[in-house]
Amino acid sequence: MLKVLIPTIMLFPTIWLSSPKWLWTETTAHSLLIALVSLTWLKWTSETGWAVSNMYLATDPLSTPLLVLTCWLLPLMILASQNHINPEPISRQRLYITLLASLQTFLIMAFGATEMIMFYIMFEATLIPTLIIITRWGNQTERLNAGTYFLFYTLAGSLPLLVALLLLQQSTGTLSMLILQYSQPCTLQSWGHKIWWAGCLIAFLVKMPLYGVHLWLPKAHVEPPVAGSMVLAAVLLKLGGCGMIRMMVMLDPLSKELAYPFIILALWGIIMTGSICLRQADLKSLIAYSSVSHMALVAGGILVQTPWGFTGAIILMIAHGLVSSALFCLANTAYERTHSRTMILARGLQMIFPLTAVWWFVANLSNLALPPLPNLMGELMIITTMFNWSPWTITLTGTGTLITAGYSLYLFLMSQRGPAPSHIMGLSPFHTREHLLMVMHLVPVLLLITKPELMWGWCH
Amino acid sequence: MADYKEAYLATRPKTLDPAEYFNLSPDYRRTEEERAALRSRLKRHYLVQLNNPHRKELIEDPALTRWTYARTSNIYPNFRPTPKTSLLGGLFGVVPLFVLYFVFKTDRDKREDKIKAGNYERPYKLSS
Repeated sequence: MLKVLIPTIMLFPTIWLSSPKWLWTETTAHSLLIALVSLTWLKWTSETGWAVSNMYLATDPLSTPLLVLTCWLLPLMILASQNHINPEPISRQRLYITLLASLQTFLIMAFGATEMIMFYIMFEATLIPTLIIITRWGNQTERLNAGTYFLFYTLAGSLPLLVALLLLQQSTGTLSMLILQYSQPCTLQSWGHKIWWAGCLIAFLVKMPLYGVHLWLPKAHVEPPVAGSMVLAAVLLKLGGCGMIRMMVMLDPLSKELAYPFIILALWGIIMTGSICLRQADLKSLIAYSSVSHMALVAGGILVQTPWGFTGAIILMIAHGLVSSALFCLANTAYERTHSRTMILARGLQMIFPLTAVWWFVANLSNLALPPLPNLMGELMIITTMFNWSPWTITLTGTGTLITAGYSLYLFLMSQRGPAPSHIMGLSPFHTREHLLMVMHLVPVLLLITKPELMWGWCH
Repeated sequence: MADYKEAYLATRPKTLDPAEYFNLSPDYRRTEEERAALRSRLKRHYLVQLNNPHRKELIEDPALTRWTYARTSNIYPNFRPTPKTSLLGGLFGVVPLFVLYFVFKTDRDKREDKIKAGNYERPYKLSS
């Protein structure tokens, strides 16, 4: 763990001491090296459930793929931000990369945490750099509204979590997940205990987001610059998923009855947010709502608490993280050229950017869960486990899959096909950097087809 | 309007055709002239931007901006709870949650009773 954490902390001196000519090269190279070192975590040598570095930082089959995803994403974020940050003075550029690096540090410590309270503190700490990125570097005036919604929805959800964790500490004497996984399932009957159950989960459900409390997500994904959108979609939503899987271990007997409202909200949310996607005029907003739809599937898979559910949830989280981030990068390429997120403005792009049309194609096919990509494998496992939970869910999840295919194809056809309008002809061609960015997003997704055991959680 | 001249290679609009001109009322003539002046001003603005050799960005279309604003950011201020919208909101947002809760609960309770009575036959052999 330290072999990744210390280089990440040393990223701060790298940022502030590099000469301006070499800043972006050095930070990209440094973060790429961290990403390559983090791949060593994938070699699983521990006999126990956890590969423990010390008492407070450990990796297990749930957090390992998420940690590798987080470390992989930092060089991609820095690559993607080069163009739009370029006009700004050098110290502001350094500040921007510092925010990304600090976000990375908090995320590594959050995913690697063994104490629930450390997870909670890091969970909250990631809010601050993200808030600064959204409200300071966003492009429209709505960014203030977006930052407010983002901050206060998440805080309102996580304050009950703090209280619940303190109560747990009071009753069991420890919050270390290494110990809590062996605690006895407690019979909890009273209303207070039910509220405690809800308090444990609501923070993560707001973060994921669940359908009823998802309102912060379209705003918070649309307003920030590309790096903010990438990290939000790819990693921060998965913090909620990871937290939920961790908490589920301790919440067992009550969850059978109390999970119903949330499972139903998640399932209905798949259909509702999918349908909203079909009505969107704004490109990034469509990708944001599709994130809600996929994460609702993940939430449903986690809440039914079966091994297949957890496995499907982890696979879908990783695959969705990479693909959603890729889509935001593609949307950013269109935004940098037309300075507008309107879909009908940047249409017919296939005629002018044929290679980019390939990336759009692959990213949209991944989004609609084409076999044999891991998106489908995760969705299929979750749909199967929900079918086992109750056969009637297949109506909702099946319709949801259909609508997902519908809006993904709509996105592809709207942006790529059709006659190219005359104002598109003069757009500047694609940089190698942008193609590299897309390859680095999509090749891991394709490679994960060959070795999905890396993502299977505890089922290997 | 006697000294209106068409642009080179353009055609005279029908509303300013002198053959019909004197049959029209002065009000109608005035409004048509104003509209033609507005249109030509907008067209000139667009053509100036189009042919500017130093232009690097897209020409902004104000109609598209207004449409986008209306579709994305201006929805809630124009929302009003009417019987129709309340019915739609309830039908798609509230009722399905209760219907689904009812469906899933009865289905799973039936299965739970069968398991407790020992009658439930497992349809699939799933590993671990």
